[in-house]
Amino acid sequence: MREVWFHRIWVWAGVGILLLWSLVPVYWTLATSVTPTTDFNLRPIHFYPSAPTFDHYLRLFGVTATTIGGVNTADQFRLALFNSIATSAAATALCVLFSLMGAYAFSRLEFPFRNALFYAVVGTLAIPGYAVLIPLFRIMVSLHQIDAYLGITLIYVSAFLPLCLWLLKGLLESLPRSLEEAARMDGASHLRILAEIITPLAAPGLTAAAILTFLGAWGQYLVPLVFSPKAAKPLTVMIPEFVGKNFIDYGLIMASGTVAIFVPCLLVIFLNKYLISGLLAGSGK
Amino acid sequence: MKNTSRLAWATATVLLGMAQFAAADDKPFAGKSITVLLPSPQDATMAADFEKATGIKLDLQTASWDDVSTKVSTALLAGTAPADVTEFDWSWTGQFAAAGWYVPLNDVVSKDTQEDIKGSSLFNINGQLLAVPYTNDFRVMLINKKHFEDAGVKAMPQTLDELVAAAKAIKAKGIVKYPVGLPLSATEGASTSWYLLTKAFGGDLFDKDMNPIFIAKDSAGYKAMAFEMQLLKDGLVDPASTGLKDSDINDTVFAKGLTSIMISGEPGRLGQYADPKQSVVAGQVAAIPVCTASGKTRSFGLLEGLGIPKSSPNAGPAKEFIKWMTSKEFQIHNYSNGVLPTRTSALADLQKGGTLISGEALVAQAPTVEPLFPAGAPTWYPQFSLAVNTSINSVAKGEISIDDAMKRIADAVTEAKKQ
Amino acid sequence: MTQSTLNFGKSGQHGIGGRSDAVLGYLLVMPILLTMAGLVFYPLLSTSWDSLHRVDPLQQGTPFVGLANYTRMFADAEVGRSWSNTFIYVFLAVTLETVFGVTAAALINQVKRGRQWVLAAVVLPWALPAVVSGVIWEWIYAPGPGLLNGSLTAVGFNFEDFVWFNNSTLATLLVTLVHVWRMMPLTIVIVLAAMQSIPSELYEAARMDGSSRLNMFFTITLPLTRGAIAVAMTNATVAAFNLFDEAMVLARNSVETRPILIQIYLEAFRKFHFSYGMALSLVVTLVSLLVSLGYVLRLHKNTRLD
Repeated sequence: MREVWFHRIWVWAGVGILLLWSLVPVYWTLATSVTPTTDFNLRPIHFYPSAPTFDHYLRLFGVTATTIGGVNTADQFRLALFNSIATSAAATALCVLFSLMGAYAFSRLEFPFRNALFYAVVGTLAIPGYAVLIPLFRIMVSLHQIDAYLGITLIYVSAFLPLCLWLLKGLLESLPRSLEEAARMDGASHLRILAEIITPLAAPGLTAAAILTFLGAWGQYLVPLVFSPKAAKPLTVMIPEFVGKNFIDYGLIMASGTVAIFVPCLLVIFLNKYLISGLLAGSGK
Repeated sequence: MKNTSRLAWATATVLLGMAQFAAADDKPFAGKSITVLLPSPQDATMAADFEKATGIKLDLQTASWDDVSTKVSTALLAGTAPADVTEFDWSWTGQFAAAGWYVPLNDVVSKDTQEDIKGSSLFNINGQLLAVPYTNDFRVMLINKKHFEDAGVKAMPQTLDELVAAAKAIKAKGIVKYPVGLPLSATEGASTSWYLLTKAFGGDLFDKDMNPIFIAKDSAGYKAMAFEMQLLKDGLVDPASTGLKDSDINDTVFAKGLTSIMISGEPGRLGQYADPKQSVVAGQVAAIPVCTASGKTRSFGLLEGLGIPKSSPNAGPAKEFIKWMTSKEFQIHNYSNGVLPTRTSALADLQKGGTLISGEALVAQAPTVEPLFPAGAPTWYPQFSLAVNTSINSVAKGEISIDDAMKRIADAVTEAKKQ
Repeated sequence: MTQSTLNFGKSGQHGIGGRSDAVLGYLLVMPILLTMAGLVFYPLLSTSWDSLHRVDPLQQGTPFVGLANYTRMFADAEVGRSWSNTFIYVFLAVTLETVFGVTAAALINQVKRGRQWVLAAVVLPWALPAVVSGVIWEWIYAPGPGLLNGSLTAVGFNFEDFVWFNNSTLATLLVTLVHVWRMMPLTIVIVLAAMQSIPSELYEAARMDGSSRLNMFFTITLPLTRGAIAVAMTNATVAAFNLFDEAMVLARNSVETRPILIQIYLEAFRKFHFSYGMALSLVVTLVSLLVSLGYVLRLHKNTRLD
């Protein structure tokens, strides 16, 4: 009995360290974002905000200050937030739609070169995105798709399609066929089967694919840095620039960081089950 | 047929244009909007003031100088406009002129104005004025007088030895921990500080044929870097400077009274430091002519201009902005934001009005200002500067020797020239 | 479009089968094929082709230069340094993520109550944008008000103004740490799933034999999760080769911490050497593929032995 308790204490101590390691940086971000600017000069530092303030958020969203350093930061921040949401959401929708259609075709329909095409697409998982960055840049320049929503969204789609397709095709193959066969007997078309039978059954997998794509697109940095530096600039590109010019303004920087991690945090808290199943399927097991 | 319709269009356009003129003849572009990309910080009410003056909406975007530089070149490569009006640094002239990326502004700036803004000649390539200088950034040394007095340093230093002695005295008295402000990060500010010190050691970076002359141990460039490292070793420069840009040191260290000497100081900042709302060292800061090895001061100019990319669809209103921002009135106003006027007449007015801080030092320094590259910035300047600041950064962290650094920079020049 | 494709589906029912199925199949995969062809396959071909030419946006013409872009990288000291940095990152990150990731998975596997909450907390760092992690950790590492120096000072070490990034070894380690913070969750999730699928009878039998917990970990858990660990290591390797955001935010262009990917970015978008950048990115791709292939072959061999 004593040994069991001893073991439990060890486990909980280990888990405690693991939780600290994972969560302290996030805590520190939140804490900094509500710390008054003057407190950053205090030594020794405070590990928690003694007088929490929402001043940084109010400035960031333009409630208390319209311009910071002559620049309408709030407008630009809102635009970047909108851009992050819009491009990630659009890429997610397209990617999941395309790969659901593709997964159905690759798993249920016979057509020449089916397997070759499938492996060609999924094989690109092994090719890192930067391998095509420079030629892609030249293509987008010639198509006038630099700093345009369409261009950046399509690049995200091309980056996350192979993973989603792999995930969904695996899922579709594991679904029981009996319902489909019954529907076929009743004369249902493929598209109807896809929409009315497969989609509801595959919902958990679709959710997983959508979360992975959304988080992936939301976290992109190098791609938008090159392809959407200005009008379509997302939060991830704006925040490091913020650091460059507002070196002193830790509160503002961390408030913007908090906004950028808010959506991922929500997804992790509420849809963790799907996220983990997606990670597992996506890891190529 | 085609011709007739085109003529009809032209007439209609002219008529429409005239109608607009009749409505507001001094605000031909009222209602338009433009984007402007400049290094931070800028005048707090610029957008509102400009809109009031011209009716044009201004979307001002700022980033650190290094980020602005990257954004501008990446966007231009892509054939898109980084903004309707962008920063146009003196060091970009060679590359941007070769690429033909910017609209000539000869029609924006009258002969008189070009006379008044002497620095505009730096941006004049083959008779085409590619940018109009808006900030007169030549370098002086900025000091905190109070720190000097508290340390008992009476005479202002003129030689580098005297400067080091003063810094040591300040440190010995414990007035500040690190009396010398010097950026050592892999950013542009580290490069320009080294250029200035090279001048201070009485030399140049390149010979007439643009061959590097900083490799030999007795060259000014070599001595300048050795001097920087000695300052660091003696504890006069904050070791954290390897992560700091010049603007970080200006805004957070010097303006808070945590350091006493800005080696490569921007005279424009004086106005900002004098404002109690923006700094805690109001009334304590002064400019002195750049200290040199010999005692005879030298400096160089880092003019920054405003230009319009050819890819900008709003050249008309953009030109209005350039006129407005380089006007005498705005330049005088903008002095309080840390921007020294480029117009001789604006400088004279500030001096006369007694608002020009350390006017004497600036007047003494101004005639000694030389261009860094007398023949104009080479097309490979960005590559050169990247090699310079990454090498300085490595030496400062003790990763490589000064000899290695000089070789690395020279190699980068050779490599860049090959193209 | 929907109407006509619906008809294709229907006619499939009526026996002419195969062909209309094939048409529908192509229609359904068309968006994927177009996207991938335009944005991956064609650029890949053009990278290979252009890397044999001099493609430089500031210079006229694109003359054929043979393998010059490839031979050049051997003499390029900066590229050499970036390579060695990248290998250090890969080695450190994969080692740390595997050792601590497997340990963490084993710990979580012992947790009975609230496991899903522990898992959510552990996965969180993975879900955050890498640049934002970089910004967060930059603030933690900052000399003066940073959390790391503040904590060390609070427990009695005089680290208040210590500048971590002035030492290249420490700097490399700290950049790696941020990367590990972000990528270790993936290892944990993969390995934990494998651990959960180990039948509990195996452990019970071992306990009967008087085996200690530690002993069981090495005799049962590790061998049975070997495949998952190899998968996790492959993912970790590819991710570490892709390291860019963290190093860019924490140490910008600094040579000492610059991974090969930042080198490529600087070559292409700062120095405007497009074709040299392309040659470099192809080589990185190849190396990363080869290293991953190494794991896959190992894994294959191991599973056959099992």
